[in-house]
Amino acid sequence: MREALLIARREYLARVLSKAFLLTTLLLPLFMGMIMGGSILAATLMGGDKHLVVASDDTTLANAVKMELVRKDPKRAVDVLVPANEANREDLIRRVGAKDLDGYLWLVARRDEPIPEATYTSRSAADFFTAGGLQAAINKAALRVEIAKKGLGVQEAESLLKSSDVKTMQVREGKVFPTDPAKGIFGAYVMVMLLYFSVVFYGMNVARSVVEEKTSRIFEVLLATAKPESLMAGKLLGVGAAGLTQLGLWLVSGSLLAVFAMTARAGMSGEMKSFSFSSFGVAPLQLLFFLLFFVLGFLFYSAIGAGFGASVSSEQEVQQFSFVIVSPLVIGLVMMRYILSNPSAPLSVGLSLFPPCTPIVMYLRLASQQPPMWQLLLSVGLMLLAIWGAIWVASRIYRVGILMYGKRPTLPEMLRWMRYS
Amino acid sequence: MREMANGALVALDRVSKSYEQKVAVKDLTLSIAPGSMYGLLGPNGAGKTSSIRMMIGITLPDSGSVTMFERPFSRESLKRVGYLPEERGLYKKMKVIDQLIFMAQLHGLDSATARTRAHAWCGRLEITDAISKKTEELSKGMQQKIQFISTLLHEPQLIIMDEPFSGLDPVNAVLLQDVLLELKRAGRAILFSTHRMDQVEKLCDSICLIHRGEAVLSGTMREVKSRYERNHVVIDFEGDASFLEHASIAEAKNYGGHAEIRLHEGADAQHLLVEATRKARIFKFDWIEPSLEEIFIRTVGGKADA
Repeated sequence: MREALLIARREYLARVLSKAFLLTTLLLPLFMGMIMGGSILAATLMGGDKHLVVASDDTTLANAVKMELVRKDPKRAVDVLVPANEANREDLIRRVGAKDLDGYLWLVARRDEPIPEATYTSRSAADFFTAGGLQAAINKAALRVEIAKKGLGVQEAESLLKSSDVKTMQVREGKVFPTDPAKGIFGAYVMVMLLYFSVVFYGMNVARSVVEEKTSRIFEVLLATAKPESLMAGKLLGVGAAGLTQLGLWLVSGSLLAVFAMTARAGMSGEMKSFSFSSFGVAPLQLLFFLLFFVLGFLFYSAIGAGFGASVSSEQEVQQFSFVIVSPLVIGLVMMRYILSNPSAPLSVGLSLFPPCTPIVMYLRLASQQPPMWQLLLSVGLMLLAIWGAIWVASRIYRVGILMYGKRPTLPEMLRWMRYS
Repeated sequence: MREMANGALVALDRVSKSYEQKVAVKDLTLSIAPGSMYGLLGPNGAGKTSSIRMMIGITLPDSGSVTMFERPFSRESLKRVGYLPEERGLYKKMKVIDQLIFMAQLHGLDSATARTRAHAWCGRLEITDAISKKTEELSKGMQQKIQFISTLLHEPQLIIMDEPFSGLDPVNAVLLQDVLLELKRAGRAILFSTHRMDQVEKLCDSICLIHRGEAVLSGTMREVKSRYERNHVVIDFEGDASFLEHASIAEAKNYGGHAEIRLHEGADAQHLLVEATRKARIFKFDWIEPSLEEIFIRTVGGKADA
């Protein structure tokens, strides 16, 4: 036990005191902050100072569209061109080409429908956001014109055009709570990515460091005093503790960032309410589950990593195969949307009880809805069993593998290693 | 056999080990007494490292037994053993002093004692400058010295070193040899493997020559050498060279004032000396015992031909 703790201490300090640890610990929150800030900035700037022309035969419609466009984004310059003919169109094309205009909207009224035929021409091939905004503006404008034709007043028209607000509520333990689905998904997304990267990073870190000790032949020295079991246990403990330290630092710095963002937001316009760090939507209980599933996932994947690292002889091989090893976690990521919206579907439940997928899938289910207690306990129980099995197999491969060099062993050879003692 | 005397710090008794189809060690028996230096000799791939690994429990023998400190092998005993593997291994990014303390702690030492001893040893081996550097910043020879120190820091009674002098320059090799000789005088038992005969000849009290996993020759240096007769003579002389036709001589090369002679089996060099002094002026008469190298080549060469 003393040996395992000594080794764990060395592994922990070697990681926590390294420059890489300092860098990633500092850079990740910074990076996240930059993504948040960047997206807020992009949202503010997007479509900002565009100069558009709305061309049509129908003056009322063209003016209504202009009004909608400007109302949506006051920084937009919109000119109206009526009536418009083919000569005007060629002139508009020339102006767009000469960067005098950013684009023009060509509207042709249809005989029996209120919604006109619309063509947007601009220099960029896929000005997706502008096109999306245009569609909404045209629809709204056409409706407004139609309602006015039917003889309703402006107030009545406005009230008809108001879009409905769907409030979302969630039932937890028999009580109803208001929720924000955007917040929930955003929080779950960030946390799941963090969980995934930490499990993969620290799990494969074990594999890499086993290979490193193998190639630098440190094992031979260590084995002359410590049992292979102590070596492996020490490594898992030390690396796992380093992982927890880093996650802890991130969670603390994340909370600080959130507080900072909230104060900063107070000074900003109300526009970006749904887009800031404070809408993290992560409950304290969820943080506990986060740490629990990190520890479980880490132990499972690092045990596999240790066995795997012991059976190869170069870091390249670790890199080549690590993706295969962590692929069950990727399944959880790929299915994230499905699991978040169908947390109790048989597929979600099944995956959450399959240990290699449990950490990600069960965490997603927890983020979406409180699963039945028995499922939670069963998933943790199965996970512990799987960890025990992984450590049992890995320690046997480890014991023989760390002294084997050269070619990668075949599967039958590895099975034979299990029987050695 | 004298080797099997009581009080041996480590003893292998008819130990065998095979890997897949290859026999690495076959029926090896040896033991090492306190205050002695033991040489494990053999060409590359003979089974030296395999034998050593079984001695310290890194691998287990397929058959036979290992006794350490007069008890069946147990891991607890390893706290009193210092092991220097053939393939040196140090943590590249770790500071030398931290590394030494870590290894000593694994052997049961507390960190304060380890620190004091580490400083003393680094001073003795002339690498005090290296103590706060990272291993990767050091030369190969320096790293080797550090590994050497980490083997000895916990003051083991039994020291096992696999090719301890390989890759060292002569000055540093002598420095380490002196340390080992001193430890031997202090009552420690030292086993080292090598394929360099001259080192064994100079340092060891007993040897075991391994070839293809089997001990082909073992015993104290004197015993081994006495099994091979002295039958070479080198003479430096001036004057009449006709003594080179003496009946005891099987073959002689005369370089004019310097002759190298092989005697007939069972011949007495004393008779030749009498004859030589009668004929010529003798500056040097050297009755040479066979070098270990010759014995090695004769034994192994004989086996290889068989």
